[in-house]
Amino acid sequence: MIKGPVLTIENLRTYFYSKSKQAFIRSVDGVNLEIDKGKTLGIVGESGSGKSITAMSVMGLISAPPGVIIGKIRLSTESIQKNLLQGLKDYVRINMSTGRIMEIYKDNVGWQKNIDRIMYKIRGREISMIFQNPKISMNPFITIGSQITESIMLNTTIKNRSKAKERALYWLEQVKIDSPRLRYNNNPHGLSGGMCQRAMIAMALSSEPSLLIADEPTTGLDATIQSKIVNLLAELKSTVGVTTMLISHDINVIRELSDQVAVMYGGTVLEHGPAKDVLSAGYEYKHPYTAALLASIPNEQHIREKGYLQAIKGDVLDTINIPGGCRFHDRCEMITNKIKERCENHEPDLKDISANHKVRCWLYYDS
Amino acid sequence: MAKTILEVENLKKYYIQPGGIFTPFKGAKRIIPAVDDVSFYIKENETMGLVGETGCGKTTIGRTLLKLTPVTAGRIIFDEKDITQLTPHEFLPFRRQVQMIFQDLDAALNPKMRIRSILKEALTVHHRLSDAEINREIGELLEKVNLKKSKLSNFPGELSGGEKRRVGIARALAVGARFLVADEPTSALDVSIQAQVVNLLKDLQKNLGLSYLFISHDLRIVELISHKVAVMYLGQIVEMGMAGRIAHEPRHPYTSILWSSLVEKKSRETTKVSTDSKKGTWGVFDFERPHTGCRFAPRCPVYEAKGKPSICNEPSKAPQLQDIGDAHKVRCHFPL
Amino acid sequence: MKRYSQYSVEVSDFSDVPFWKKASFMDLVYVSYGIFIVILVIGSYIVGAFDLLPYDPHEINLELLMAPPQSSGHFLGTDFMGRDILSRLIIGIQAYFLPGLLAIAIAIILGTCFGVLAGYWGSGFDTIITYINNLLNSFPRLVLILLMVAAFKPDIYYIMVIVGITNVPVVASLIKGKIQFLKQKYFIEAATALGLKNRVIIFKHILWHNCRSILIIQATLGMAEAILMETSLSYLGFGVQEPTPSWGNMVQAGANYLMQGKFWPSTAPALAILFTIMGFHLLGDGLNNMLERRRNK
Ligand SMILES: Nc1ncnc2c1ncn2[C@@H]1O[C@H](COP(=O)(O)OP(=O)(O)OP(=O)(O)O)[C@@H](O)[C@H]1O
Ligand SMILES: Nc1ncnc2c1ncn2[C@@H]1O[C@H](COP(=O)(O)OP(=O)(O)OP(=O)(O)O)[C@@H](O)[C@H]1O
Ligand code: SF4
Ligand SMILES: [Mg+2]
Ligand SMILES: [Mg+2]
Repeated sequence: MIKGPVLTIENLRTYFYSKSKQAFIRSVDGVNLEIDKGKTLGIVGESGSGKSITAMSVMGLISAPPGVIIGKIRLSTESIQKNLLQGLKDYVRINMSTGRIMEIYKDNVGWQKNIDRIMYKIRGREISMIFQNPKISMNPFITIGSQITESIMLNTTIKNRSKAKERALYWLEQVKIDSPRLRYNNNPHGLSGGMCQRAMIAMALSSEPSLLIADEPTTGLDATIQSKIVNLLAELKSTVGVTTMLISHDINVIRELSDQVAVMYGGTVLEHGPAKDVLSAGYEYKHPYTAALLASIPNEQHIREKGYLQAIKGDVLDTINIPGGCRFHDRCEMITNKIKERCENHEPDLKDISANHKVRCWLYYDS
Repeated sequence: MAKTILEVENLKKYYIQPGGIFTPFKGAKRIIPAVDDVSFYIKENETMGLVGETGCGKTTIGRTLLKLTPVTAGRIIFDEKDITQLTPHEFLPFRRQVQMIFQDLDAALNPKMRIRSILKEALTVHHRLSDAEINREIGELLEKVNLKKSKLSNFPGELSGGEKRRVGIARALAVGARFLVADEPTSALDVSIQAQVVNLLKDLQKNLGLSYLFISHDLRIVELISHKVAVMYLGQIVEMGMAGRIAHEPRHPYTSILWSSLVEKKSRETTKVSTDSKKGTWGVFDFERPHTGCRFAPRCPVYEAKGKPSICNEPSKAPQLQDIGDAHKVRCHFPL
Repeated sequence: MKRYSQYSVEVSDFSDVPFWKKASFMDLVYVSYGIFIVILVIGSYIVGAFDLLPYDPHEINLELLMAPPQSSGHFLGTDFMGRDILSRLIIGIQAYFLPGLLAIAIAIILGTCFGVLAGYWGSGFDTIITYINNLLNSFPRLVLILLMVAAFKPDIYYIMVIVGITNVPVVASLIKGKIQFLKQKYFIEAATALGLKNRVIIFKHILWHNCRSILIIQATLGMAEAILMETSLSYLGFGVQEPTPSWGNMVQAGANYLMQGKFWPSTAPALAILFTIMGFHLLGDGLNNMLERRRNK
């Protein structure tokens, strides 16, 4: 048995270089996360705050030529302990003069080879991902059954085709696809969105990964199927005990499924703690962004009065010109005169408030 | 009394899919009744919400309203004119009036065009504008949807899901339409921007008197923004009425199941019908062989509870959309 | 407000940076080379028009047969009739350029039209085009050209018309395939919904934004192919006819003397063909990479 978190992300930075703007797009800018074994980490946050890019970085799917990844992603499962970003730095050279990045050199082929070498036997086997758009991520010409069977034979110890097929049927049943024997022979486009989503989940689970990344698994599904998928994930958590990284905009889904929640904004984590604390509006030590986010959820009163919703004022963050100081200070409503100067000029650290609750805000520095 | 801006009468849209390679010999074609006999009307300044299971034909209705796909039968009367009869050329003036926010954000933006050209194009389709005006208008649009100027020179592939969605909304707003089909405009957005979009739509309605057909899976938002709501099942409207009543006093079993499966409610709410989501009975419906009689019967808890009455199976006695008072219509033999 | 300046540069204007500023070095080299070749071609016309050639390419000098390069004032020597090879080389490209353009124009214009008809408007046209395609494919192209030559006369323009026409189905099916692929995405529908006219959608969204690389590649390949085609026909004696100089018939005429160790009359035009074809290929490749923002590895 290994101890400690299954996945540790330390100071992850994923930048894209935009040649036309001569600047870095700092999609992920210093993310620290941990996921413990058997737990679910929910990630919420502004759209464009780098949630998907974080997930893609973990999967080693950032290959767009000018992308740069720095930091540490440590995966420690029973069979593998590895820094997934090992040696990637060697393939990038950055020329700076007078504080500006003048040029980036990247050995794309070497970079890709290195990623493939590191991720060999990890992608799909140790980590698998539920993509947001299942129809795009599954091969449209192959039946879902044989896709799952292939994945089982590739990634697990089952190498016998008929056994693998049995296993595939088991997983199709697990995700509550009715008459799995019939659906086994369906092509992805013969399934409705919700079915396809579930087939995708079955495929991701069939390789029995140590870590499951689910990027918005419920968007675009109607309420009944949404609740089915939520039930399924909850059930899997209690029975199989998969470690999950769950990205979603639906706070209710996150609340239902996660143990820990990370709130992302502008490429960094602003708050990280137990789900019940982070997502309850009443909790005392709350990051101002989280508070504002929770306030934007339509509540019973809004619905009854058909009134306006409360949105966070101000502009969304510009990932090229991230403001100095606290990233959120332009829009922060809880800023006080006492800390104003600090908020505008210095970036706070992710500070421990209690045992496992961290907040990145100057408000909680003095106490 | 507000004027009726859009009236849909007995709209039908059947997709015909060629079957396998042997179809020519068998002569059998697969017919998918994506929209089957749908009627509704929308007044000026009014929002109609449209909800339903994935694949029940919501987007298809939206597409027929914009004449993006020919209808099989039925009439769509926009501003007292039947647009199903118009040639594409005659329809051109209507394109200014009706716009759509597309559901599939990856596909609806030309991948090879920068965001700036996409918006510029939408602004200049119907109006001649100088460069300065275009820049000003683009600035205003970006402000409305809260998108950063620096994203203008990006290609759609380089944006996050929510950013693409906002470009889609900005493009639909650029034309200045009076009627907007909003196909899941709030999915893939964080709650704050979702709130902004909802507020924006409400504002536009208040200031410019727009009407919306609001398609969404987010029932809370639908309830909040819509005046009336139509619930679809398998190509048909099964219930239609005022938003509050649909949400709180549903009469059709499907509506009841839909609202009770809201994730937040699940733990505390007790509904009139049990959803029984643990059992694997909630299969996916088969469009090719819809159940004769009431299409919802195979999944219907009431049908189960009443001991499978034969009236629900009889093709000749398929339930009709009947008015049960207060502009509330239900398609069910045994409304709750 | 303080901004992290070490990574970002204040951006004043977000309008597009012209694409050549973002191109990779190798692409620029390719394209420059290609453009250099095109300039040489145009130069050939200028030189011809203003009579700046070192010698009259048609002037026969029986006293100086097969003079080696650099001798008696002939930079590249003379051929078997004592004509100046350099002058003939310069004029020689003119045998291809306009006919080649004609072939390209026919292939691109007709191919695009058919491709759009089949891809955008549907199955009826699609069937017709497939039939035409099969018809043309069932004849070897060379046979078709020889038939043409036999029926009319061995004129380079006739030949290039055939080359162009036989390329039509190739372009058409490429464009058709691309459009059918694009139609599965919804942006064409979205453009229709905006109220754009079919004309605009076809020319702007489809052809300009999504098909231009195909067309550019086809055009430059077409030019290279035209040159090659003429060369091989010259070998059969059906290319550009003497005394009009073309590289093909120069190579062919010179090849007879290779055995005697007199390499220059055929080597010079052969090299010219090589570099020109390479130029057009690289031009297409480089432009494609630039327009498609594909970076060189
Ligand atoms: N290939 C790319 N080139 C340049 N910028 C990119 C690229 N991919 C993503 N970005 C930028 O990185 C930022 C983060 O994107 P990401 O997809 O992670 O957002 P997200 O948090 O998943 O948002 P959403 O919830 O809307 O999906 C965005 O601002 C996006 O514009
Ligand atoms: N072009 C098409 N050809 C054939 N069938 C189609 C086509 N477009 C849609 N369909 C079918 O019509 C039905 C209705 O599709 P539609 O896109 O309208 O569903 P929807 O209600 O919008 O679902 P969702 O909530 O998932 O967006 C589906 O079963 C779909 O498979
Ligand atoms: S650090 Fe300051 S500006 Fe940032 S969230 Fe906290 S109070 Fe607001
Ligand atoms: Mg995302
Ligand atoms: Mg839809």
